[in-house]
Amino acid sequence: MVKSTSYLFFFISFGNFLSVYFIFQNDLRNDGRSKQDYRPIELELDIVTHANGSARVRLANTDILVGVKTEIDVPTSNRPEEGKIEFFVDCSANATPEFEGKGGQDLATEIGNYLGSSFASPLSFDLKPLCILKGVQCWKLYVDILILECGGNLFDAVSLAVKAALYNTMVPRVETVAMDGGNVDLQLSGDPFDCWRLDITNIPCLVTLTKIGEHLIVDPTAEEEECSMASLVVAVTESGRINSLCKTSVGSLHPQTLTDALKVGVEVGVGLNKALNEALGREEKRLQSNKPERFGFLK
Amino acid sequence: MPTDNRRIQGPEISTPYCVFGSSTENEDEDGCFKSTDPLSSTRKDGRALLEHRKIYMKTGVVSQAKGSAYIELNNTKVICSVFDPREIPNRVEYSQHGELFCVLKFAPFSCTTRRSHQQDAEEKELSLNLKRALEPAVCRHEFPNFQVDIYVLILESDGGSLAASITCAGLALADAHVPMYDLVTAASLGVAGDVLMKDPSEEEEKLCSQHFERSNLNHGLITVSLMGAHTQITQVWQTGSMTTTCVSESLTHLIQSCEETYPIAQRCLVKSVVDTISKKKVPEQS
Repeated sequence: MVKSTSYLFFFISFGNFLSVYFIFQNDLRNDGRSKQDYRPIELELDIVTHANGSARVRLANTDILVGVKTEIDVPTSNRPEEGKIEFFVDCSANATPEFEGKGGQDLATEIGNYLGSSFASPLSFDLKPLCILKGVQCWKLYVDILILECGGNLFDAVSLAVKAALYNTMVPRVETVAMDGGNVDLQLSGDPFDCWRLDITNIPCLVTLTKIGEHLIVDPTAEEEECSMASLVVAVTESGRINSLCKTSVGSLHPQTLTDALKVGVEVGVGLNKALNEALGREEKRLQSNKPERFGFLK
Repeated sequence: MPTDNRRIQGPEISTPYCVFGSSTENEDEDGCFKSTDPLSSTRKDGRALLEHRKIYMKTGVVSQAKGSAYIELNNTKVICSVFDPREIPNRVEYSQHGELFCVLKFAPFSCTTRRSHQQDAEEKELSLNLKRALEPAVCRHEFPNFQVDIYVLILESDGGSLAASITCAGLALADAHVPMYDLVTAASLGVAGDVLMKDPSEEEEKLCSQHFERSNLNHGLITVSLMGAHTQITQVWQTGSMTTTCVSESLTHLIQSCEETYPIAQRCLVKSVVDTISKKKVPEQS
């Protein structure tokens, strides 16, 4: 039984491989995109009421929901002047049956770790404004990422959603801080709308470059990921700096391919950041208009 | 949190005393170099900027393991053992390719601050990078549905732990007679402003992960692992913030370092083979 299914799978994937592979000859992919095109992306902000910031990104069949919660914590002893940020990725079994039980855990840690390392530099996200009282109190941002549907290219979609959610995040303003015999006395502003926003200008977007045959493509679908030999994830900021770089799949790359991939990745990443910023501006305007038109939570 | 009574645990909340050290630790970056001219300057340990530390490698250090290796780069000391393939536990479906099960662990006393016995997030991340670095080099179709266990223990950490672990694990895999396409060697490089430092030590790594207010903003660390005979990069891992040109330049230097390490690893393996043969011959002669 087991063998027959695996053969069947083999034929399906081989058929896929042929169709995916040959279509490249005309610089066109299965779905009519060129090598460096993204699939249509939908973006919604502020859709979870209890989160300080939230965003939902749908990249064709990949659906990501991100909520940011802010809490008060004690800064670490070796970085007393900085706040904290933590990423948690949940690959729920809703997305694909493979994630059932502990199935999605490896992927979840991989995405979480990679996001962490792309945010690590103070040039991508400065943690200093999150400090309330040096060495005593700071804000901690919990970024919870929920993968609702899996249609390939999780890294890119997750990073877009995280950047959007952080853009949307409102951190309550602290009015007074007083030390009272070793205890900290915080006074938050009485107005729930008296908040400040995070600086997201330098937060990178992740761009996955997948190598299929001799071609480098961006935004692979699930089928294309199946046929890929190696993929590279590059974290690119709006100014075109590389804030993190990692190979994520089985397979290896020639040094020349790697340098070519970096160039393509930065080019695509800069464009992606710009497009996201424009979309965020538009969404913000829509939310601020008196009667924002609601499309529903999951349309 | 569940407590572990069998091992010595520190108090729940403790602060390493080095935090309270004088602020001279955070002096400017030039403190690491003896002179201010980056090209002619030497580092604290007397190396030139693009000079790798001396490497010592040895295979067959753990008698109980199928294959093992030890690597030493000055104060970075890593030991790795590889065990026989075994069936993948808790797996129902058949997998066409064998798997590598990598566990990377820092010894509790390996760093300036004490490490816990349980794997923390950093160790998990490094384990995954190690796995990704080794996977392309192993003929995984030769042992379908089986996994090879690779345990890496960092005895002492003084920068370049991941690179040392990858090279060490590559050697141990070869020593364990696991079928491979090629040997894997790795190298690390630190960037601080205009300065590129090959194989940075712990102190230099710390320096590179900070950012200084100056015209050139580049800073960060890159680790690359390479299959020497095929010139294929098996893993690349960069943190920090750099321009594309800086990354490409670093990559060229790193590939060169990996290629320099490759013959050392080869010689180490040849030596272990020669030793085994000569040991076997002795009883015949007597």
